[in-house]
Amino acid sequence: MNTFQLNISSPDGRIFTGEVSRITVRGAMGDLAVLAGHIPLITSVKAGNCVLQLEDGSVRRGHTGGGMLTVGKGEVTFLTSSLEWYN
Amino acid sequence: MGTNTKALKIRIRSVDSTMHTTRAMGLVASSKMRRANERMHNGKQYAEAFGSVVQVLTAAPECARSPYMQPSEGARTCLIVIAGDRGMAGGYNANVFRLTDSMQYDAVIPIGKRACDRYHGKFYSSEDFSGADATAMAHEICQKYLAGEFDRLGIVSTRYVSMLTQEAYVTWVLPLERSERTGSTGVVFEPDEETILNAVVPDYVAGVLMRCIRESFASEVAARRMAMDSAGKNAQAMIDDLQLQYNRARQGAITQEITEIVAGSGA
Repeated sequence: MNTFQLNISSPDGRIFTGEVSRITVRGAMGDLAVLAGHIPLITSVKAGNCVLQLEDGSVRRGHTGGGMLTVGKGEVTFLTSSLEWYN
Repeated sequence: MGTNTKALKIRIRSVDSTMHTTRAMGLVASSKMRRANERMHNGKQYAEAFGSVVQVLTAAPECARSPYMQPSEGARTCLIVIAGDRGMAGGYNANVFRLTDSMQYDAVIPIGKRACDRYHGKFYSSEDFSGADATAMAHEICQKYLAGEFDRLGIVSTRYVSMLTQEAYVTWVLPLERSERTGSTGVVFEPDEETILNAVVPDYVAGVLMRCIRESFASEVAARRMAMDSAGKNAQAMIDDLQLQYNRARQGAITQEITEIVAGSGA
């Protein structure tokens, strides 16, 4: 599966950086997932679950306090006030 | 002679113990330096990443209607003043307060014990201020801003130029300025620029606040290290001087005693 570079940052520092194949968050208009090759997008993110599917197929779940998701060319940045991992 | 050398000896001992204190404080500051720098770097990264997206948003004409972008007419100013929790850092706190007092303001939100004492606000530590604290504070401030309690938000903090130089300065956060940035064509905004902007401004303010706090703390530690360094040097110079005086007094007393004995035996 195609992957893309994902960076998750909070004011306390970098929370996650690496290759993932999918990120799911709660956008302003409802849940949305970003896959590799997505067109450039900027959206606000509401508080809720954040699910990453990593390169090896494993899944990481967490709860985010909201923020902003920016999809650029080959790179996705998620700036969030907080993110707690469940696993 | 007795009293003079004794007094000198006591002074030497007292300066010496002060020197030990300054050395210990200097060492504590040095050990905090690395972590403070790292945290400053993290805070900066977040604020800059957020800032560049906010620039893209404010450049969009749709955002001109946003309440966060209305120019401040009344100019009631709210200042967040960031100072240290402790003193003994040279002019670090004084510079921040001098800059604050030179400005017109209507409300102050102090951060750091020194600032809280001076401006009588709720206590927030500038060393242990967390991202969650910043988010909570920023949301509260944005609500007050939207309710029209003030028209301008500034942060008075200290810029970390280098280990040797730090300077107090003001960052104006709200209202947001329109940026001239272009090149955001082809980007999809969901749902639209203004809604996104209004939703993310509190988090942006939190990011800027966090960056200022981290940078101020790094400056504080650096300033303290410098101050303790020079205090240690001064103490050493003082001890050298006193030691010289002591030796002279002691030598003078011995010479006098010998003279007295010789004079006594000659008689």
